[in-house]
Amino acid sequence: MEPVIETKGLKHVYIDSDNNPVTALDGIDLQIMSGEFVAVIGANGSGKSTLARHFNALLLPSEGSVNVHGLDTLDENNLWQIRQDTGMVFQNPDNQIVAAVVEEDVAFGPENIGVPTEELKQRVEDALRAVDMLDYREHAPHLLSGGQKQRVAIAGTLALGSRCIVLDEPTAMLDPKGRKEILSTVRKLNREQHITVVYITHFMTEAMQADRVIVMGDGRIKFQGTPRDVFSRVEELEKLGLEAPLAAKFAFELRKSGVKLPQGIITNEELAEALAGTFCA
Amino acid sequence: MLDITLGQYYPGNSFIHRLDPRTKILTTLILIVAVFLANSAIGYAALCAMVLFIIAISGLPFMLVLKSVKPLLFIIVLTLVLHAVMGQGEHVLYQWKFIKVTEEGLQLGVQMAMRLILLLMISSILTFTTSPIVLTDGIEALLRPFRVIGVPAHELAMMMTIALRFIPTLMEETDRIIKAQTARGADFSGGNLLARAKNMLPILVPLFISAFRRADDLAIAMEARCYRGGEGRTRMHQLAYRSGDGLAFVFAFAMIGLLAFLRWGPKFI
Repeated sequence: MEPVIETKGLKHVYIDSDNNPVTALDGIDLQIMSGEFVAVIGANGSGKSTLARHFNALLLPSEGSVNVHGLDTLDENNLWQIRQDTGMVFQNPDNQIVAAVVEEDVAFGPENIGVPTEELKQRVEDALRAVDMLDYREHAPHLLSGGQKQRVAIAGTLALGSRCIVLDEPTAMLDPKGRKEILSTVRKLNREQHITVVYITHFMTEAMQADRVIVMGDGRIKFQGTPRDVFSRVEELEKLGLEAPLAAKFAFELRKSGVKLPQGIITNEELAEALAGTFCA
Repeated sequence: MLDITLGQYYPGNSFIHRLDPRTKILTTLILIVAVFLANSAIGYAALCAMVLFIIAISGLPFMLVLKSVKPLLFIIVLTLVLHAVMGQGEHVLYQWKFIKVTEEGLQLGVQMAMRLILLLMISSILTFTTSPIVLTDGIEALLRPFRVIGVPAHELAMMMTIALRFIPTLMEETDRIIKAQTARGADFSGGNLLARAKNMLPILVPLFISAFRRADDLAIAMEARCYRGGEGRTRMHQLAYRSGDGLAFVFAFAMIGLLAFLRWGPKFI
Protein backbone atom coordinates (compact mmCIF):
# COMPACT_ATOMS: atom_id res chain seq x y z
CA MET A 1 0.00 0.00 0.00
CA GLU A 2 1.08 3.52 -0.80
CA PRO A 3 1.38 6.15 1.92
CA VAL A 4 -1.06 9.06 1.63
CA ILE A 5 1.05 11.25 3.86
CA GLU A 6 4.74 10.77 4.42
CA THR A 7 7.02 12.97 6.51
CA LYS A 8 10.79 12.61 6.63
CA GLY A 9 12.83 14.32 9.33
CA LEU A 10 10.14 17.00 9.59
CA LYS A 11 11.23 19.95 11.73
CA HIS A 12 9.22 23.10 12.37
CA VAL A 13 10.78 26.12 14.03
CA TYR A 14 8.97 29.39 14.57
CA ILE A 15 9.84 32.68 16.24
CA ASP A 16 7.68 33.45 19.27
CA SER A 17 6.56 36.90 20.44
CA ASP A 18 9.76 37.33 22.49
CA ASN A 19 11.88 36.70 19.38
CA ASN A 20 13.08 33.31 20.54
CA PRO A 21 13.11 30.38 18.13
CA VAL A 22 10.80 27.58 19.26
CA THR A 23 11.08 24.06 17.89
CA ALA A 24 7.47 22.89 17.60
CA LEU A 25 8.27 19.73 15.66
CA ASP A 26 11.61 18.01 16.06
CA GLY A 27 12.27 15.31 13.53
CA ILE A 28 9.00 13.57 12.68
CA ASP A 29 9.19 10.44 10.51
CA LEU A 30 5.72 9.23 9.78
CA GLN A 31 3.74 7.33 7.17
CA ILE A 32 -0.03 7.35 6.97
CA MET A 33 -1.42 4.68 4.67
CA SER A 34 -4.41 4.95 2.38
CA GLY A 35 -7.65 4.06 4.15
CA GLU A 36 -6.11 4.19 7.58
CA PHE A 37 -7.76 5.76 10.65
CA VAL A 38 -4.97 7.30 12.67
CA ALA A 39 -5.46 9.10 15.98
CA VAL A 40 -2.86 11.56 17.21
CA ILE A 41 -2.81 12.27 20.93
CA GLY A 42 -0.58 14.45 23.03
CA ALA A 43 -0.68 17.06 25.78
CA ASN A 44 -1.11 20.76 25.00
CA GLY A 45 1.94 22.12 23.23
CA SER A 46 3.10 18.67 22.14
CA GLY A 47 3.02 19.77 18.50
CA LYS A 48 0.01 17.80 17.31
CA SER A 49 -1.85 20.75 15.78
CA THR A 50 1.35 22.00 14.15
CA LEU A 51 1.81 18.56 12.63
CA ALA A 52 -1.75 18.57 11.30
CA ARG A 53 -1.23 21.90 9.55
CA HIS A 54 1.74 20.47 7.69
CA PHE A 55 -0.50 17.86 6.08
CA ASN A 56 -2.48 20.57 4.31
CA ALA A 57 0.49 22.84 3.47
CA LEU A 58 -0.87 25.51 5.81
CA LEU A 59 2.55 25.32 7.44
CA LEU A 60 5.74 24.40 5.64
CA PRO A 61 8.66 22.41 7.06
CA SER A 62 11.72 24.31 8.32
CA GLU A 63 13.71 21.14 7.70
CA GLY A 64 12.86 17.76 6.23
CA SER A 65 9.92 17.12 3.94
CA VAL A 66 6.19 16.36 3.84
CA ASN A 67 4.71 14.46 0.91
CA VAL A 68 0.95 14.31 0.40
CA HIS A 69 -0.18 11.85 -2.25
CA GLY A 70 3.42 11.93 -3.47
CA LEU A 71 3.47 15.74 -3.81
CA ASP A 72 6.05 17.76 -1.89
CA THR A 73 4.40 20.53 0.17
CA LEU A 74 7.46 22.76 -0.32
CA ASP A 75 6.75 23.02 -4.06
CA GLU A 76 4.32 25.88 -4.48
CA ASN A 77 2.88 24.39 -7.69
CA ASN A 78 1.46 21.52 -5.66
CA LEU A 79 -0.33 23.73 -3.14
CA TRP A 80 -3.89 23.64 -4.49
CA GLN A 81 -3.77 19.97 -5.41
CA ILE A 82 -2.60 19.12 -1.88
CA ARG A 83 -5.36 21.19 -0.31
CA GLN A 84 -7.93 19.39 -2.46
CA ASP A 85 -6.56 15.97 -1.60
CA THR A 86 -6.36 16.61 2.14
CA GLY A 87 -9.29 18.35 3.76
CA MET A 88 -9.01 20.02 7.15
CA VAL A 89 -11.60 20.33 9.88
CA PHE A 90 -10.73 22.70 12.72
CA GLN A 91 -11.61 22.94 16.37
CA ASN A 92 -14.02 25.87 16.48
CA PRO A 93 -17.23 25.00 14.62
CA ASP A 94 -18.25 28.65 14.25
CA ASN A 95 -15.04 29.96 12.79
CA GLN A 96 -14.75 27.72 9.75
CA ILE A 97 -18.17 28.17 8.17
CA VAL A 98 -18.00 30.87 5.52
CA ALA A 99 -21.45 31.15 3.98
CA ALA A 100 -24.80 32.05 5.52
CA VAL A 101 -26.55 28.93 4.13
CA VAL A 102 -25.42 25.34 4.77
CA GLU A 103 -25.31 24.20 1.13
CA GLU A 104 -23.52 27.36 0.04
CA ASP A 105 -20.87 26.68 2.63
CA VAL A 106 -20.36 23.11 1.45
CA ALA A 107 -20.09 24.50 -2.08
CA PHE A 108 -17.42 27.01 -1.04
CA GLY A 109 -14.45 24.65 -1.57
CA PRO A 110 -15.44 23.28 -4.99
CA GLU A 111 -16.44 26.80 -6.10
CA ASN A 112 -12.89 27.92 -5.32
CA ILE A 113 -11.36 25.30 -7.59
CA GLY A 114 -13.80 26.07 -10.40
CA VAL A 115 -16.01 22.96 -10.49
CA PRO A 116 -18.75 23.39 -13.13
CA THR A 117 -22.23 24.16 -11.77
CA GLU A 118 -23.95 20.86 -12.54
CA GLU A 119 -21.21 18.71 -11.04
CA LEU A 120 -21.01 21.09 -8.09
CA LYS A 121 -24.65 20.58 -7.19
CA GLN A 122 -24.16 16.82 -7.29
CA ARG A 123 -21.04 17.02 -5.13
CA VAL A 124 -22.77 19.17 -2.52
CA GLU A 125 -25.72 16.82 -2.37
CA ASP A 126 -23.52 13.72 -2.07
CA ALA A 127 -21.36 15.34 0.60
CA LEU A 128 -24.35 16.44 2.68
CA ARG A 129 -25.90 12.99 2.39
CA ALA A 130 -22.65 11.34 3.48
CA VAL A 131 -22.69 13.28 6.77
CA ASP A 132 -26.46 12.93 7.13
CA MET A 133 -27.16 16.67 6.86
CA LEU A 134 -29.15 16.76 3.63
CA ASP A 135 -32.30 17.85 5.47
CA TYR A 136 -30.53 20.98 6.67
CA ARG A 137 -29.22 22.15 3.31
CA GLU A 138 -31.07 25.45 3.38
CA HIS A 139 -30.60 26.21 7.06
CA ALA A 140 -28.58 29.08 8.48
CA PRO A 141 -25.42 27.72 10.12
CA HIS A 142 -25.81 29.69 13.34
CA LEU A 143 -29.02 27.80 14.10
CA LEU A 144 -27.28 24.40 14.02
CA SER A 145 -25.81 22.55 16.99
CA GLY A 146 -22.04 22.27 17.36
CA GLY A 147 -22.04 18.67 16.14
CA GLN A 148 -24.10 19.61 13.10
CA LYS A 149 -21.77 22.49 12.27
CA GLN A 150 -18.77 20.18 12.40
CA ARG A 151 -20.56 17.71 10.13
CA VAL A 152 -21.13 20.56 7.67
CA ALA A 153 -17.39 21.27 7.86
CA ILE A 154 -16.68 17.60 7.10
CA ALA A 155 -19.09 17.76 4.14
CA GLY A 156 -17.14 20.80 2.93
CA THR A 157 -13.97 18.72 2.66
CA LEU A 158 -15.82 15.84 0.97
CA ALA A 159 -17.29 18.19 -1.64
CA LEU A 160 -13.76 19.38 -2.39
CA GLY A 161 -12.98 15.79 -3.34
CA SER A 162 -10.68 15.05 -0.43
CA ARG A 163 -9.76 11.39 0.02
CA CYS A 164 -7.99 12.18 3.27
CA ILE A 165 -9.42 14.27 6.09
CA VAL A 166 -7.34 15.78 8.88
CA LEU A 167 -9.43 16.73 11.89
CA ASP A 168 -7.76 18.99 14.44
CA GLU A 169 -9.56 18.41 17.77
CA PRO A 170 -12.97 18.55 16.08
CA THR A 171 -14.82 17.64 19.27
CA ALA A 172 -13.00 19.85 21.79
CA MET A 173 -15.84 22.40 21.86
CA LEU A 174 -18.77 19.97 21.56
CA ASP A 175 -21.12 18.39 24.06
CA PRO A 176 -21.09 14.57 24.50
CA LYS A 177 -23.87 14.13 21.93
CA GLY A 178 -22.00 16.18 19.33
CA ARG A 179 -18.81 14.23 20.07
CA LYS A 180 -20.58 10.95 19.39
CA GLU A 181 -22.05 12.32 16.13
CA ILE A 182 -18.66 13.40 14.81
CA LEU A 183 -16.87 10.21 15.76
CA SER A 184 -19.51 7.97 14.21
CA THR A 185 -19.60 10.12 11.03
CA VAL A 186 -15.83 9.90 10.69
CA ARG A 187 -15.82 6.14 11.31
CA LYS A 188 -18.55 5.64 8.76
CA LEU A 189 -16.67 7.62 6.11
CA ASN A 190 -13.52 5.67 6.90
CA ARG A 191 -15.20 2.28 6.68
CA GLU A 192 -17.67 2.83 3.84
CA GLN A 193 -15.83 5.26 1.59
CA HIS A 194 -12.28 4.26 2.61
CA ILE A 195 -11.38 7.82 3.41
CA THR A 196 -8.10 8.20 5.21
CA VAL A 197 -8.62 9.88 8.57
CA VAL A 198 -6.09 11.68 10.75
CA TYR A 199 -7.90 12.44 13.98
CA ILE A 200 -6.22 14.71 16.50
CA THR A 201 -7.82 14.58 19.90
CA HIS A 202 -7.25 14.70 23.59
CA PHE A 203 -10.12 12.35 24.34
CA MET A 204 -8.63 8.90 24.87
CA THR A 205 -11.97 7.18 24.38
CA GLU A 206 -12.09 8.64 20.84
CA ALA A 207 -8.53 7.57 20.06
CA MET A 208 -9.48 4.02 21.05
CA GLN A 209 -11.62 3.76 17.92
CA ALA A 210 -8.64 4.28 15.61
CA ASP A 211 -6.55 1.69 13.76
CA ARG A 212 -3.37 3.27 15.03
CA VAL A 213 -2.58 5.75 17.77
CA ILE A 214 0.38 8.12 17.60
CA VAL A 215 1.50 9.63 20.89
CA MET A 216 3.26 12.97 20.69
CA GLY A 217 5.33 14.88 23.24
CA ASP A 218 7.81 17.76 22.94
CA GLY A 219 7.48 17.87 19.16
CA ARG A 220 8.41 14.21 18.73
CA ILE A 221 6.56 10.96 18.22
CA LYS A 222 7.04 9.25 21.58
CA PHE A 223 5.53 5.92 20.62
CA GLN A 224 2.77 4.52 18.47
CA GLY A 225 0.82 1.34 17.85
CA THR A 226 -2.64 -0.14 18.06
CA PRO A 227 -4.88 1.41 20.71
CA ARG A 228 -4.36 -1.71 22.82
CA ASP A 229 -0.58 -1.37 22.72
CA VAL A 230 -0.61 2.34 23.41
CA PHE A 231 -3.17 2.47 26.18
CA SER A 232 -1.61 -0.43 28.06
CA ARG A 233 1.45 1.74 28.62
CA VAL A 234 -0.19 3.56 31.47
CA GLU A 235 2.96 4.87 33.15
CA GLU A 236 4.53 6.22 29.96
CA LEU A 237 1.30 8.00 29.04
CA GLU A 238 1.16 9.62 32.46
CA LYS A 239 4.72 10.87 32.11
CA LEU A 240 3.60 12.70 28.95
CA GLY A 241 0.72 14.34 30.79
CA LEU A 242 -1.88 12.01 29.27
CA GLU A 243 -4.39 9.88 31.05
CA ALA A 244 -4.97 6.28 29.98
CA PRO A 245 -8.59 5.08 29.82
CA LEU A 246 -10.01 4.32 33.26
CA ALA A 247 -10.18 0.55 32.68
CA ALA A 248 -6.52 0.43 31.64
CA LYS A 249 -5.48 2.47 34.67
CA PHE A 250 -7.57 0.36 37.00
CA ALA A 251 -6.18 -2.86 35.57
CA PHE A 252 -2.68 -1.47 35.95
CA GLU A 253 -3.24 -0.62 39.62
CA LEU A 254 -4.83 -4.01 40.33
CA ARG A 255 -1.91 -5.77 38.72
CA LYS A 256 0.47 -3.70 40.84
CA SER A 257 -1.39 -4.79 43.98
CA GLY A 258 -0.94 -8.41 43.00
CA VAL A 259 -4.22 -9.27 41.29
CA LYS A 260 -3.47 -11.62 38.41
CA LEU A 261 -4.85 -9.94 35.27
CA PRO A 262 -3.81 -10.40 31.65
CA GLN A 263 -2.02 -7.56 29.81
CA GLY A 264 -3.74 -5.29 27.30
CA ILE A 265 -7.00 -4.48 29.07
CA ILE A 266 -8.30 -1.13 27.83
CA THR A 267 -12.11 -1.24 27.84
CA ASN A 268 -14.53 -1.56 30.72
CA GLU A 269 -15.95 -4.79 29.27
CA GLU A 270 -12.54 -6.41 29.02
CA LEU A 271 -11.79 -5.44 32.61
CA ALA A 272 -15.10 -6.81 33.84
CA GLU A 273 -14.52 -10.10 32.02
CA ALA A 274 -10.96 -10.44 33.32
CA LEU A 275 -12.07 -9.69 36.88
CA ALA A 276 -14.91 -12.19 36.62
CA GLY A 277 -12.39 -14.75 35.37
CA THR A 278 -10.09 -14.12 38.32
CA PHE A 279 -12.58 -13.90 41.15
CA CYS A 280 -15.43 -16.16 40.12
CA ALA A 281 -13.29 -19.08 38.97
CA MET B 1 -28.51 51.19 7.37
CA LEU B 2 -27.10 47.70 7.57
CA ASP B 3 -28.99 46.62 10.66
CA ILE B 4 -32.24 48.04 9.30
CA THR B 5 -32.09 46.11 6.04
CA LEU B 6 -30.68 42.94 7.60
CA GLY B 7 -33.76 41.58 9.26
CA GLN B 8 -36.13 42.99 6.66
CA TYR B 9 -36.67 40.06 4.35
CA TYR B 10 -40.33 39.07 4.27
CA PRO B 11 -40.37 35.50 2.90
CA GLY B 12 -42.79 34.77 0.13
CA ASN B 13 -43.14 33.28 -3.31
CA SER B 14 -44.79 36.07 -5.28
CA PHE B 15 -43.93 37.25 -8.78
CA ILE B 16 -41.77 39.98 -7.26
CA HIS B 17 -40.01 37.56 -4.89
CA ARG B 18 -39.12 35.26 -7.77
CA LEU B 19 -37.56 37.95 -9.95
CA ASP B 20 -33.83 37.79 -10.51
CA PRO B 21 -32.05 40.02 -7.94
CA ARG B 22 -30.30 41.89 -10.76
CA THR B 23 -33.67 42.74 -12.26
CA LYS B 24 -34.93 43.97 -8.93
CA ILE B 25 -31.89 46.15 -8.27
CA LEU B 26 -31.92 47.65 -11.78
CA THR B 27 -35.66 48.25 -11.94
CA THR B 28 -35.50 49.82 -8.48
CA LEU B 29 -32.87 52.23 -9.78
CA ILE B 30 -35.00 53.00 -12.87
CA LEU B 31 -38.05 53.66 -10.73
CA ILE B 32 -36.02 55.92 -8.43
CA VAL B 33 -35.05 58.01 -11.47
CA ALA B 34 -38.73 58.01 -12.45
CA VAL B 35 -39.61 59.45 -9.03
CA PHE B 36 -37.19 62.31 -9.61
CA LEU B 37 -38.80 63.06 -12.97
CA ALA B 38 -42.23 63.56 -11.47
CA ASN B 39 -43.27 67.22 -11.26
CA SER B 40 -47.04 67.18 -11.57
CA ALA B 41 -49.96 65.88 -9.59
CA ILE B 42 -50.68 63.29 -12.29
CA GLY B 43 -47.06 62.10 -12.16
CA TYR B 44 -47.22 61.55 -8.41
CA ALA B 45 -50.60 59.91 -8.70
CA ALA B 46 -49.18 57.51 -11.30
CA LEU B 47 -46.24 56.69 -9.06
CA CYS B 48 -48.46 56.09 -6.04
CA ALA B 49 -50.68 53.82 -8.10
CA MET B 50 -47.59 51.94 -9.26
CA VAL B 51 -46.26 51.44 -5.72
CA LEU B 52 -49.68 50.20 -4.59
CA PHE B 53 -49.79 47.85 -7.58
CA ILE B 54 -46.32 46.42 -6.82
CA ILE B 55 -47.19 45.97 -3.14
CA ALA B 56 -50.40 44.19 -4.16
CA ILE B 57 -48.66 41.64 -6.40
CA SER B 58 -45.75 41.14 -3.98
CA GLY B 59 -48.12 40.02 -1.23
CA LEU B 60 -46.51 42.32 1.33
CA PRO B 61 -48.78 43.83 3.98
CA PHE B 62 -49.25 47.49 3.07
CA MET B 63 -48.61 48.68 6.62
CA LEU B 64 -45.25 46.88 6.65
CA VAL B 65 -44.04 48.82 3.63
CA LEU B 66 -45.47 52.07 5.00
CA LYS B 67 -43.53 51.54 8.23
CA SER B 68 -40.28 51.78 6.29
CA VAL B 69 -40.96 55.51 6.07
CA LYS B 70 -40.83 55.83 9.86
CA PRO B 71 -37.04 56.21 10.36
CA LEU B 72 -37.06 59.28 8.14
CA LEU B 73 -40.44 60.66 9.23
CA PHE B 74 -38.83 63.55 11.07
CA ILE B 75 -36.86 64.62 8.00
CA ILE B 76 -39.93 64.34 5.81
CA VAL B 77 -41.99 66.54 8.12
CA LEU B 78 -39.10 68.99 8.42
CA THR B 79 -38.81 69.21 4.62
CA LEU B 80 -42.52 69.84 4.31
CA VAL B 81 -42.58 72.55 6.98
CA LEU B 82 -39.43 74.31 5.79
CA HIS B 83 -40.59 74.44 2.21
CA ALA B 84 -44.00 75.68 3.23
CA VAL B 85 -42.65 78.40 5.48
CA MET B 86 -39.60 79.53 3.53
CA GLY B 87 -40.95 79.13 0.01
CA GLN B 88 -41.21 82.12 -2.29
CA GLY B 89 -44.35 82.81 -4.26
CA GLU B 90 -47.16 85.16 -5.14
CA HIS B 91 -50.18 83.47 -3.63
CA VAL B 92 -49.95 83.99 0.08
CA LEU B 93 -52.23 81.65 1.98
CA TYR B 94 -51.33 82.73 5.48
CA GLN B 95 -49.11 85.35 6.98
CA TRP B 96 -47.97 86.01 10.50
CA LYS B 97 -45.35 88.72 10.88
CA PHE B 98 -42.46 87.72 8.63
CA ILE B 99 -43.60 84.09 8.26
CA LYS B 100 -45.76 83.50 5.26
CA VAL B 101 -47.05 80.32 3.73
CA THR B 102 -47.36 80.51 -0.03
CA GLU B 103 -49.20 78.15 -2.33
CA GLU B 104 -46.05 77.56 -4.37
CA GLY B 105 -43.96 76.79 -1.28
CA LEU B 106 -46.56 74.40 0.08
CA GLN B 107 -46.77 72.64 -3.27
CA LEU B 108 -43.02 72.21 -3.43
CA GLY B 109 -42.96 70.91 0.13
CA VAL B 110 -45.63 68.33 -0.57
CA GLN B 111 -43.73 67.26 -3.70
CA MET B 112 -40.50 66.83 -1.78
CA ALA B 113 -42.21 64.86 0.96
CA MET B 114 -43.95 62.65 -1.59
CA ARG B 115 -40.64 62.06 -3.31
CA LEU B 116 -38.96 60.90 -0.10
CA ILE B 117 -41.88 58.68 0.86
CA LEU B 118 -41.96 57.05 -2.59
CA LEU B 119 -38.19 56.53 -2.61
CA LEU B 120 -38.27 54.84 0.77
CA MET B 121 -41.20 52.64 -0.16
CA ILE B 122 -39.74 51.56 -3.51
CA SER B 123 -36.33 50.69 -2.11
CA SER B 124 -37.82 48.90 0.88
CA ILE B 125 -39.90 46.71 -1.45
CA LEU B 126 -36.55 45.54 -2.86
CA THR B 127 -35.17 44.54 0.54
CA PHE B 128 -38.50 43.09 1.70
CA THR B 129 -38.72 40.73 -1.25
CA THR B 130 -35.04 39.78 -1.63
CA SER B 131 -33.07 37.88 0.99
CA PRO B 132 -29.73 39.52 1.83
CA ILE B 133 -27.85 36.51 0.46
CA VAL B 134 -29.55 36.72 -2.92
CA LEU B 135 -29.13 40.48 -2.89
CA THR B 136 -25.38 40.00 -2.42
CA ASP B 137 -25.26 37.65 -5.42
CA GLY B 138 -27.10 40.25 -7.48
CA ILE B 139 -24.75 43.07 -6.48
CA GLU B 140 -21.74 40.92 -7.28
CA ALA B 141 -23.10 40.03 -10.72
CA LEU B 142 -23.92 43.65 -11.50
CA LEU B 143 -20.53 44.94 -10.38
CA ARG B 144 -18.58 42.25 -12.26
CA PRO B 145 -18.28 44.23 -15.52
CA PHE B 146 -16.68 47.09 -13.56
CA ARG B 147 -13.81 44.88 -12.46
CA VAL B 148 -11.75 46.16 -15.40
CA ILE B 149 -11.74 49.64 -13.87
CA GLY B 150 -10.73 48.21 -10.50
CA VAL B 151 -14.03 47.67 -8.67
CA PRO B 152 -13.39 44.71 -6.34
CA ALA B 153 -16.75 43.05 -7.08
CA HIS B 154 -15.95 39.60 -5.72
CA GLU B 155 -14.19 40.94 -2.63
CA LEU B 156 -17.13 43.20 -1.76
CA ALA B 157 -19.58 40.33 -2.16
CA MET B 158 -17.37 38.03 -0.07
CA MET B 159 -17.21 40.62 2.69
CA MET B 160 -20.99 40.98 2.67
CA THR B 161 -21.46 37.21 2.77
CA ILE B 162 -19.09 36.87 5.72
CA ALA B 163 -20.76 39.78 7.48
CA LEU B 164 -24.17 38.15 7.02
CA ARG B 165 -22.77 34.86 8.29
CA PHE B 166 -21.10 36.34 11.38
CA ILE B 167 -23.55 39.02 12.54
CA PRO B 168 -25.75 36.47 14.39
CA THR B 169 -22.66 34.82 15.87
CA LEU B 170 -21.29 38.13 17.10
CA MET B 171 -24.69 39.11 18.50
CA GLU B 172 -24.71 35.93 20.54
CA GLU B 173 -21.22 36.74 21.69
CA THR B 174 -22.24 40.28 22.69
CA ASP B 175 -25.05 38.85 24.73
CA ARG B 176 -22.66 36.50 26.50
CA ILE B 177 -20.18 39.29 27.23
CA ILE B 178 -22.93 41.54 28.62
CA LYS B 179 -24.03 38.75 30.95
CA ALA B 180 -20.45 38.03 31.99
CA GLN B 181 -19.76 41.71 32.72
CA THR B 182 -23.06 42.10 34.55
CA ALA B 183 -22.10 39.15 36.71
CA ARG B 184 -18.92 41.03 37.57
CA GLY B 185 -20.96 44.01 38.69
CA ALA B 186 -20.91 46.17 35.56
CA ASP B 187 -23.85 48.55 35.20
CA PHE B 188 -25.01 49.31 31.67
CA SER B 189 -28.10 51.34 32.41
CA GLY B 190 -28.39 54.92 33.53
CA GLY B 191 -26.09 57.88 33.33
CA ASN B 192 -25.83 60.49 30.62
CA LEU B 193 -24.77 59.81 27.05
CA LEU B 194 -21.05 60.01 27.84
CA ALA B 195 -21.35 57.67 30.82
CA ARG B 196 -23.33 55.21 28.77
CA ALA B 197 -20.79 55.26 25.96
CA LYS B 198 -18.09 54.64 28.53
CA ASN B 199 -20.11 51.72 29.88
CA MET B 200 -19.94 50.07 26.47
CA LEU B 201 -16.15 49.73 26.63
CA PRO B 202 -16.10 46.52 28.71
CA ILE B 203 -18.34 44.99 25.99
CA LEU B 204 -16.54 46.34 22.95
CA VAL B 205 -13.00 45.40 23.92
CA PRO B 206 -13.63 41.66 24.39
CA LEU B 207 -15.93 41.64 21.36
CA PHE B 208 -13.21 43.11 19.15
CA ILE B 209 -10.56 40.74 20.42
CA SER B 210 -12.80 37.77 19.77
CA ALA B 211 -13.78 39.08 16.33
CA PHE B 212 -10.13 39.34 15.34
CA ARG B 213 -9.48 35.82 16.59
CA ARG B 214 -12.43 34.56 14.58
CA ALA B 215 -11.20 36.39 11.50
CA ASP B 216 -7.82 34.72 11.86
CA ASP B 217 -9.38 31.26 12.22
CA LEU B 218 -11.70 31.87 9.29
CA ALA B 219 -8.85 33.01 7.05
CA ILE B 220 -6.96 29.79 7.76
CA ALA B 221 -10.06 27.68 7.18
CA MET B 222 -10.73 29.47 3.89
CA GLU B 223 -7.17 28.93 2.75
CA ALA B 224 -7.39 25.26 3.65
CA ARG B 225 -10.40 25.06 1.34
CA CYS B 226 -8.47 26.41 -1.65
CA TYR B 227 -9.71 30.00 -1.46
CA ARG B 228 -7.59 32.26 -3.64
CA GLY B 229 -9.83 35.19 -4.51
CA GLY B 230 -12.47 35.49 -7.19
CA GLU B 231 -10.29 34.32 -10.07
CA GLY B 232 -11.49 31.09 -11.69
CA ARG B 233 -14.32 30.66 -9.22
CA THR B 234 -17.61 29.03 -10.21
CA ARG B 235 -20.94 29.40 -8.44
CA MET B 236 -23.39 26.72 -7.43
CA HIS B 237 -26.40 28.97 -7.86
CA GLN B 238 -26.11 30.78 -11.12
CA LEU B 239 -28.40 33.72 -11.69
CA ALA B 240 -30.62 33.40 -14.73
CA TYR B 241 -33.08 35.85 -16.25
CA ARG B 242 -36.54 34.45 -16.96
CA SER B 243 -39.49 35.81 -18.88
CA GLY B 244 -40.84 37.55 -15.78
CA ASP B 245 -37.69 39.63 -15.63
CA GLY B 246 -38.30 40.96 -19.12
CA LEU B 247 -41.80 41.94 -18.07
CA ALA B 248 -40.45 43.80 -15.03
CA PHE B 249 -38.01 45.74 -17.21
CA VAL B 250 -40.77 46.63 -19.69
CA PHE B 251 -42.89 47.85 -16.79
CA ALA B 252 -40.07 49.94 -15.32
CA PHE B 253 -39.20 51.53 -18.66
CA ALA B 254 -42.88 52.21 -19.35
CA MET B 255 -43.08 53.99 -15.99
CA ILE B 256 -40.02 56.16 -16.62
CA GLY B 257 -41.30 56.87 -20.15
CA LEU B 258 -44.67 57.97 -18.80
CA LEU B 259 -43.08 60.33 -16.29
CA ALA B 260 -40.69 61.76 -18.87
CA PHE B 261 -43.68 62.38 -21.12
CA LEU B 262 -45.60 64.07 -18.31
CA ARG B 263 -42.61 66.29 -17.60
CA TRP B 264 -41.42 67.25 -21.07
CA GLY B 265 -44.23 66.22 -23.36
CA PRO B 266 -47.09 68.42 -24.56
CA LYS B 267 -49.15 69.80 -21.70
CA PHE B 268 -52.82 68.92 -21.50
CA ILE B 269 -53.64 70.69 -18.30
